[in-house]
Amino acid sequence: MPLTDRHSKRLRKARSILRPLDVLIVASSAALLVALSIAVYGGPPSATLVVSTEMGEWVYPMSQDRDIEAQGPLGITYIHIGDGNAHIEDSPCANKTCVASLPISKTGEWAACLPNGVFIHIEGAEDDGEIDAFVK
Amino acid sequence: MKSMRSSNRPSFPDGGRRIAAFLAALAFFLSTVEYMLPRPVPFMRLGLANLPILIAVDLLPFGAYMALALVKVVGMSVLTGSLFTYVALFSLAGTLASALTMRGLRVVAGPKALSYVGLCVAGAVVSNMAQVALARVFVFGPSAKFMAPMFLGLGLVSGLTLGAFTQVFASRSSWLAKVRSSARASEGEALDDQA
Repeated sequence: MPLTDRHSKRLRKARSILRPLDVLIVASSAALLVALSIAVYGGPPSATLVVSTEMGEWVYPMSQDRDIEAQGPLGITYIHIGDGNAHIEDSPCANKTCVASLPISKTGEWAACLPNGVFIHIEGAEDDGEIDAFVK
Repeated sequence: MKSMRSSNRPSFPDGGRRIAAFLAALAFFLSTVEYMLPRPVPFMRLGLANLPILIAVDLLPFGAYMALALVKVVGMSVLTGSLFTYVALFSLAGTLASALTMRGLRVVAGPKALSYVGLCVAGAVVSNMAQVALARVFVFGPSAKFMAPMFLGLGLVSGLTLGAFTQVFASRSSWLAKVRSSARASEGEALDDQA
């Protein structure tokens, strides 16, 4: 059969590229990825946005629309919470990777502006949402 | 007498300097190509500029190999304008970690047990994890752990892609075969290499 023939040929080709240690390295990386993903994304449903800067950490509820200004070494990074999403609107960095990244809404999702040292991520509702904002 | 140390790495009369310089130039070129390509996900990089380093694992003596890695970091930082920002520090940490990991793995396992695919995946994953670790210590604090799954995943994908490409390239390239055979031909005249 030409189909199985081609299939076995392809298998043999893949085997000629992949060696024992390749499989070990790829498999252990994949296992680590799964474990890390469960640890980070497996939390309770999203409730708060945590903004980390060099000066400290701020926590905001995701349920209220809000504009946040986070001070970094380069200037102010503008963050917006709206409709359960958080997004970096603007930042004084050169590459604007943070502005291009998608809005975040679920536990464990994050966005960051590395040059300005601003990191935002969403945490689950562990304590009741009494605190409006605090500085660590 | 030929030494048994360097598995099947050729020895160059000039310690691999000429080839290292050529590979460094190739890395610069590939970095510019990389910046031309659109990114499906922010932070997603294919790491094309690591192709010369990957090839150098089995080609250059240790000194020239590490020099190539350092020159790549400086070159890329100049190209992206980040040389004097701490973004360059991340690049340096990632590249050094992956260069040493790949070289170390090759010492443990020869090409029969480990191809460029595993080598490249290990290098990419270690590079990305080193950068996340650096971000944890210097920039974002404990929050940086949220970056780990994504960077690990990106490292896995880009490592597999570049590794498979390099494996095919290394097995077919007539340039690489020529470099190896000309090095072998001059091996007799070579002074003791300091690898």
